[in-house]
Amino acid sequence: MAGDFTVTVRSADGKPVPDAVVMVYPNGQPTKGPIKFPWPYRVAQQNIQFTPFMLVVPVGADVAFPNLDKVRHHVYSFSAGNKFEIKLYGHEENRTAKMNTAGVAAIGCNIHDQMVGFIRVVDTQYAGKTDANGVVTIQDVPTGAIKASVWHPYMRAMKNEKTLSTTSVGAGAAREQVAVELRAPAGR
Amino acid sequence: MFQRLQTKLTVLYAGLFALALSLVAVTVYVAIASNAQRAVREEMAASGTVFDRIWALRNQRLQDGAELLSRDFGFRAAVATHDRPTVESAVANLRQRLGLDLAFTVGVDGDVVGLDPARLDLEKLWSALDAEDGAQGVFAIDGKPYQLISAPILSPTLTGWIVFAAKLDEPEMRGLEKLSAIGLDAQVFDQRGDQWVSADSGPANKPLAAFVAKAMQDKLRAPAVLHGGADSLVLVKPIRTLDKTSGAALVLRYPLAQAMAPYRPLMAAVIVAGLIGAALVAAASWALSRGLTKPITALDIAASRLRDGEDVSVEVTTQDEIGRLAQSFNQMASEIREREAEMIRQALHDGETGLPNRRALERAIETRLNTIAPGEQVVIAAIGFDRFPQVRAAIGYELATELVAKLGQRIIEIAPGVLVSRLTTSILCVVSASTSLDRVLGLVEDALPGLEAPIEVGGELVDVHITQGLAATTRGELDAVRLIERALIALDQSRASHRKFMAFDAAAYGDTSANLSLMSEMLEAVRKGQLYLNHQPKLDLRTGAITGVEALARWNHPTRGFIRPDLFVGMAEETGHIRALTDYVLTQAIEDQARLRAAGHDVLMSVNVSGRLIDDYAFAEHAIAAVTAAGARLCFEITETAVIGNPDVALSVLDRLAEAGIPVSIDDYGSGLSSLAYLKQIRADELKIDKAFVMSLEAGGKDALLVKSTVDLAHSLGMKVTAEGVETREGLAVLQLMGCDLAQGYHIARPMGLDKLVDFLGEWSIELPSEDSPPLLGEVARRAGGGSAA
Repeated sequence: MAGDFTVTVRSADGKPVPDAVVMVYPNGQPTKGPIKFPWPYRVAQQNIQFTPFMLVVPVGADVAFPNLDKVRHHVYSFSAGNKFEIKLYGHEENRTAKMNTAGVAAIGCNIHDQMVGFIRVVDTQYAGKTDANGVVTIQDVPTGAIKASVWHPYMRAMKNEKTLSTTSVGAGAAREQVAVELRAPAGR
Repeated sequence: MFQRLQTKLTVLYAGLFALALSLVAVTVYVAIASNAQRAVREEMAASGTVFDRIWALRNQRLQDGAELLSRDFGFRAAVATHDRPTVESAVANLRQRLGLDLAFTVGVDGDVVGLDPARLDLEKLWSALDAEDGAQGVFAIDGKPYQLISAPILSPTLTGWIVFAAKLDEPEMRGLEKLSAIGLDAQVFDQRGDQWVSADSGPANKPLAAFVAKAMQDKLRAPAVLHGGADSLVLVKPIRTLDKTSGAALVLRYPLAQAMAPYRPLMAAVIVAGLIGAALVAAASWALSRGLTKPITALDIAASRLRDGEDVSVEVTTQDEIGRLAQSFNQMASEIREREAEMIRQALHDGETGLPNRRALERAIETRLNTIAPGEQVVIAAIGFDRFPQVRAAIGYELATELVAKLGQRIIEIAPGVLVSRLTTSILCVVSASTSLDRVLGLVEDALPGLEAPIEVGGELVDVHITQGLAATTRGELDAVRLIERALIALDQSRASHRKFMAFDAAAYGDTSANLSLMSEMLEAVRKGQLYLNHQPKLDLRTGAITGVEALARWNHPTRGFIRPDLFVGMAEETGHIRALTDYVLTQAIEDQARLRAAGHDVLMSVNVSGRLIDDYAFAEHAIAAVTAAGARLCFEITETAVIGNPDVALSVLDRLAEAGIPVSIDDYGSGLSSLAYLKQIRADELKIDKAFVMSLEAGGKDALLVKSTVDLAHSLGMKVTAEGVETREGLAVLQLMGCDLAQGYHIARPMGLDKLVDFLGEWSIELPSEDSPPLLGEVARRAGGGSAA
């Protein structure tokens, strides 16, 4: 038995918050066994931007960093557990990095300071990021008790994360709307 | 306030100049001060702007450095990976390279690298850094204000901040001060609660701190003057602080004294020039007013000398008002002197004759008295015209005055060196040049003929008859007034004794000061019997018998001795005591006659009755009563002039006496203005011819003729005739021949006391010449001389 859990994330002023990551842990436990998400594990560099800005991947995933620009990039992450560095490389598509630890990998380009992106490395099958309307639906969440939280890199909260109030999922759809406070990204 | 005009003028001018100068100095000072202040304000504003620019530049430099570091990949990697040693070394490296005071990082998690977190308020710093991207501003580290610059460290998300800090202490400020054109004092104040504290070390400047607090509170952005202590101009510029809750300010200060410093020599020059100018003005005013007041002072002194009677004149040196004043003063002084001289001349001269007057005489005498040596005398002579009223009546007032004046001139001609003054209308007084009365008496005697020579006035020669009275005094004996008085008395004495001149006879005059008391003494003497009567026998020229006596009052004063009858009788008349004296004489005469009768001698007793009593009815009644009661035979002798005074009353009194059977005798006939008219009216029994005629009988001439006529006249009027003053045998004989009835005089007998009279009458015998034989009266003379030797 499983149900969908839809979460709508809005800012304090009521605007939809995209790229917020919702993570659900049935019975509060991480998923045992391999985790597979339907979206590609890929962060492209296009128009001197990371695309997508936010990527959710399971632990151990290899994330591809194809350079679609004509300029060269120097992608790095100093995030603990997911530290990597792909030194200057040109237009190519075969560069990858392995996400070893559940957590965050803040990625940047050493050449282009304005380039910022995030990879959320999760250890649960039930995770997703909000769309442009600030809505995300986690499908097939097993009914019963859950522990759910929402995370956003600019959220004004401890570890940029907030626990959701929904504690269980029944048959049918569970919904929750959550308001978060975001800060302006530093240095931009 | 000022006694001297000169001081007044000097003080006034110098004061005015000093006042004007003070105004100029004050104006200059104010202008300079405001100018200097404006210059300083401008400079301060400029310095403030420069400071802003420097501040901005420095901040930019630091900012650039911070941002550069914050973007460094290695550095970011070190920070993100918490590679502490690497971060510290990187920060230190940059601090050194940029010459920073402090450089450190602050992690988003509050981790501070490169600085001991205890040195600052980390929570406040973190909040400030977190609140604003690239926060910068003043922040306190170790309690001192630092300028902080921050830059975020992005890797790529915010992992912390790099912070640079620069001290805002004195050395830093000194560097800023050097950039200013003027010697500004710059310091940073930061707010600690309510207090504003300077970053400078040293004692706190409380007024300045208070001023800064107020300026910050009032948002005062322009330079303002801070009073107290040394005034200064202060500009408070707020500086951005890192945390918005506190404040900081850059305080630029410039002492006004320093602003004025460049002008000090100018002010000193103004003051020195002013003082020199004031001194010059004072000196010039002094000199000018001296020139102005000198003649006034001279006039002032001259005026007071003129007041003291000195002969003064002022030197005229200028032609201005003062010069004219001096001229007028001189003219006035000279006129005053002339008038004074004229007044003195008038005061000291007789207006009619031009001779010195009595006042001048007194002065001359006083002067002489002050110059003569001890033992020497001042001798004066009063020279009186005899019978001047008659002469004046004859020749007229004017010529009579001329006569006096000419006599004065004559005296001066005869005796040069004497002072001749006019004492009264008819009396001149001469102060002799000689100092001895005896010598002057000799001179007067010698000069007499010359003096009495006829004087020509009005074309006619006029006889001059003068009598002189002399008086002398030594120094300290008499004053001028007394001396003149004595000379006049001497003149009277001289006239009384029918002499041409004589010196003052003190013995004859008596002590005038005692004369007043003499009268009371006389009344006392009447009571005490000090008065007595002397009797002078009257010889009947037909029978040779003594048929009468004249009773004469005598006074033997116990201390003053024998007092002359004319003195005390005259005084008794003058003082109103003649009645008492006459009453005594009457009583005594009646008594004496009674005693003579008792001795067997019946003589008619003549008593002198003063002219003052002849019109006194009361006296007449009293006398008649007394005589009648005693059955006495008295004859009242009165002078013809006494009747003339009040003829109606006198004649009726005389009639009354005649009715009572008391004979009346007319005394001293011929000495006055003998009036035939009165002679006819007076019912007298006897006429007594004045001795002046009788004494010169033997010389023959007019007097003899007069006496003869008078005798005949009296006889024809039914009166007996008595001749007075018979002093010689020849005179007696002549009188007998003339048919004179009675004779009285020294040749017959002097006045004598009652006892002697009794003896005299007892012994009396005379052989009178028969009508055909020559008078042989030698016997009489012999006896009379012996008998009257009293």
